[in-house]
Amino acid sequence: MTTILPTPEETTPTGAPGGAPPGALTAPDSPTTLVERPAGAATTPGADRPRADVRVRVLPRPVIRFRSSRPDLLLCLGLLTVILAVQGWNITHFPTLSDDEGTYLAQAWAVQQGEGLAHYTYWYDHPPLGWIQIAGLTYLPSVIAPESMTVATMRFAMLAVSAACAVLLYVLARRLFLPRWSAALAMALFGLSPLSVVLQREIFLDNLAVMWMLLAFCLAASPSRHLWHHFAAGLVGAVSVLTKETMLVVLPALLVTMWRHSHRDTRKFAVTGAITACVLIGLSYPLYALLNNELFPGPGHVSLIDGITYQMGREGSGFILDAGSGSHGVLQSWLYYDRVLPLGGVAGALLLLSTLRWSVTARALAGPALAVAILTVVAMRPSGYLPAMYVIQALPFLALVLAGAAASVVHAVLHRRLPARGSSPAPRTAFGRILRDRAVRRTPAPGVAPPGAPDAARSRALTHLPRRALVGVLALAAAVLLTPRWIDGNRDALTLDANAPYRAAAGWLQEEIADPASTRVLVDDALWLDLVHDGFTPGTGAIWFYKADLDPAVTKTMPRGWRDIDYVVSSPTVRRDAVDLPNVKAALQHSTPVAVFGRGEDRIEIRRITGGTTGGAR
Amino acid sequence: MLLSVLVVAISLALFWMAAFTLWWQMHAWRTPETLAATSFDRPDSDVGLSFSLLLPARHEQAVLEHTIERLLESTHSNYEIIVVVGHDDPETAEVAERAARNDPLRVRVITDTHETKNKPKALNTALPHCRGDIVGVFDAEDQVHPELLAHVDHAFTTTGADVVQGGVQLINFHSSWYSLRNCLEYFFWFRSRLHLHAQKGFIPLGGNTVFVRTAVLREADGWDADCLAEDCDLGVRLSSAGKKVVVAYDSGMVTREETPDTLMSLLKQRTRWNQGFLQVYRKRDWRQLPTRRQRMLARYTLMTPFLQAYSGVIIPVNVVIALFLDVPVGAAIVTFLPLVTAMVTFVFEVVGLHDFGKQYGLRVRFTHYLKLIIGGPFYQVLLAGAAVRAVWREQRGRNEWELTSHVGAHLTETREDASR
Repeated sequence: MTTILPTPEETTPTGAPGGAPPGALTAPDSPTTLVERPAGAATTPGADRPRADVRVRVLPRPVIRFRSSRPDLLLCLGLLTVILAVQGWNITHFPTLSDDEGTYLAQAWAVQQGEGLAHYTYWYDHPPLGWIQIAGLTYLPSVIAPESMTVATMRFAMLAVSAACAVLLYVLARRLFLPRWSAALAMALFGLSPLSVVLQREIFLDNLAVMWMLLAFCLAASPSRHLWHHFAAGLVGAVSVLTKETMLVVLPALLVTMWRHSHRDTRKFAVTGAITACVLIGLSYPLYALLNNELFPGPGHVSLIDGITYQMGREGSGFILDAGSGSHGVLQSWLYYDRVLPLGGVAGALLLLSTLRWSVTARALAGPALAVAILTVVAMRPSGYLPAMYVIQALPFLALVLAGAAASVVHAVLHRRLPARGSSPAPRTAFGRILRDRAVRRTPAPGVAPPGAPDAARSRALTHLPRRALVGVLALAAAVLLTPRWIDGNRDALTLDANAPYRAAAGWLQEEIADPASTRVLVDDALWLDLVHDGFTPGTGAIWFYKADLDPAVTKTMPRGWRDIDYVVSSPTVRRDAVDLPNVKAALQHSTPVAVFGRGEDRIEIRRITGGTTGGAR
Repeated sequence: MLLSVLVVAISLALFWMAAFTLWWQMHAWRTPETLAATSFDRPDSDVGLSFSLLLPARHEQAVLEHTIERLLESTHSNYEIIVVVGHDDPETAEVAERAARNDPLRVRVITDTHETKNKPKALNTALPHCRGDIVGVFDAEDQVHPELLAHVDHAFTTTGADVVQGGVQLINFHSSWYSLRNCLEYFFWFRSRLHLHAQKGFIPLGGNTVFVRTAVLREADGWDADCLAEDCDLGVRLSSAGKKVVVAYDSGMVTREETPDTLMSLLKQRTRWNQGFLQVYRKRDWRQLPTRRQRMLARYTLMTPFLQAYSGVIIPVNVVIALFLDVPVGAAIVTFLPLVTAMVTFVFEVVGLHDFGKQYGLRVRFTHYLKLIIGGPFYQVLLAGAAVRAVWREQRGRNEWELTSHVGAHLTETREDASR
């Protein structure tokens, strides 16, 4: 084996032939040794043909070992502390407890109790892996202090997920050859954007799915390009999809990342292995349904096909740019928290995708940029349903792409050769300069510097000053634009108490109801676990309000409808959905408030049913 | 309940077995660097060592001449060819003598006078006559690349190895459905798995294109004349004694061979190998391996044919149990694990076939992929049959050689029947 200096063609991150065109924007971090082997064999059709005297060199990709890089570790750890502080402070008070959080946590509770996948009939609304993970994540606290298993408290568990996501994003950025500052920028954008802070605090399956998908991307961009890392990437990608099925649309981007970051000689095994792993793990969900005899629809039981049909058939929320549509409202709610990340990210993705031909960074980030593009296109469907948490799965990619675009621009400003400077910019020279710049900083690599280096160095020093100044101005402008908005956005997250009514309502129910075991309450999912801990019967005593109309197992216990109920806890969600739920609507009409917490739209009323019989048939 | 526990236990065992086999099978493709390291380094120095190439031939007059001619085309300048023929085989002896007359400096003929003949006896007969530093073994029907010796020489000199194993590849994948699978088996074995064995310090050597330092071979008393897999045995004995083995695979430089020409002869060949593996296992030389991991690898590798046969039968049974008997859903899902690894193996085989075609410039058609997939279960049956047959023969004490005949399907011109 011999050590040979890398040629420009071989140091492209993809390891693919081709070479770096003029103005390649960033370069791999450290050229290392390469293994030389004789080849020509690959295409020799017969043994009789004399061997072609061609050599193919396999260049180990420049490796960034996160674990052994002290500056990376320190930077990442520092940022992580800030992110955890911002996300963790006031986490139980803001944002408002959401119905979905309650649903998932309650189902996780059911898993912990050994009651199966849900305490009501599991009907294949989502793959169950997400809340099985939540159950695992909250297992220890739920054993030590069972009453801590409520939405607000268990938000702390999501901090662990956020932390994992943030670190994985940093690692991914480094694996995609972004410079340190850019990786840090991605991590900060992802962890500190007010939009992220609000959404990542909540117990959403999407946050878990994002964690798995980021892990899959990290594995796909593994510096050692190990077959089983790629295999694991496919596997983890499938886990991500089984955690939240909407991640399915990101899989092509994962594939692109893997393709770009695998080596030509082993690519076919790596990529097919990953796809196989992904498909096989993905099939475990239908297999589970099949083994339960619940794959196909039939009378008297739920089925996976029914579940999928329901999800696909959800009423659309209109075109996202059509003011007045539901989707537009959702978009506005995102932009209310942060404009930089969603809009800047999409712009960054466009920039990267349109400079694929010229920019090494763009090629390295092709996967994440594609993820942003796909998610944007899916959000633009004219008749699709756009849930508020949709943006969660885009957040890491938006941050990464925005930071990558920034790195691209900075590199172009600092290093791009101006056409006016005499000779035509030859690709070798352009890249050679980058290599030399790095070689000087790291291991001296004799012979890499192009001829005539001293002159070039002097003239570069002259041109560098204004270029650096320009970068400084750009950075300052970005900071001025960004910081006030983020401070405003995060101030709310750090100080507001949006959940006081919920806490007060929970407290009231705990204090004022004498005999919880025989009292029946319609309540939204967010408060449900509080009631269960107070001694209400899960399922038929403490009732998810909509189950009173939709679940035959529950309506069966209410032969006289609203008369068999004692209380309704009327939260904004209950009032909103009651329109389509006759039992709930009737209960609201035939009840009077006994306690009201909060004011206006967001108030929570505890209403006692009038004219019914307390402790109805169970 | 008992059924569930049993099914889960069997499934997990099968899963781990298949997973390990798969892991090892894919060794060469782990990283691009591993793949690059599996091939020969280019020789950059002058000739260093001298070679004695042993060529045992039995009723192989049809292919022998061509093989000797090819060997004489070698670019290496310091080697001799020793053809070993039987005293009861005048036709082959005549071809060999003619070659020796044409090139008396480089070709010699040794006559093996053993009453019952087999390959290890022939090789042992020739061993005292070897004058080279290195003994190399080829079969009479092998197509050897002219530059191979120079590369092997370089490998010995640069690595200080005691043994160098070159690649052997069956080429005639188009001949039949089983030759397709047979070729692919060789591909995965020589292209990938053997490198892992060399790295771990336990290696069952191949039957030809194997080179051993003459002194080392004499010290080991040559080949075991009573073993049906003398090549495997030699590898196990040498690696157990701590000798360094280097494996190199270069698709341009492999020794090309052909698959057995009938299903029956494939079955016989496989039976012989399995029986040989069983014999090597029972000889317990592998117990001298220094580390526990190496001994585990040895145990597992030598048992593989039997485990393979067993898993081929048990996987379908397991799935049927999961689908039709009343076991809990969790247990039923576990029973699918071995199937999952089998599917992954299948997919890698398909990709392997594609790579095989690319490496050798052979056109692999869609029907070949189809044959590969459909033939899979049947090939499993064949392997299982050979495994059962091997155990049965070993029990009955039958360990004579069942020869495999060669028709020269891997050569460009058609040849008449010849047997090894």
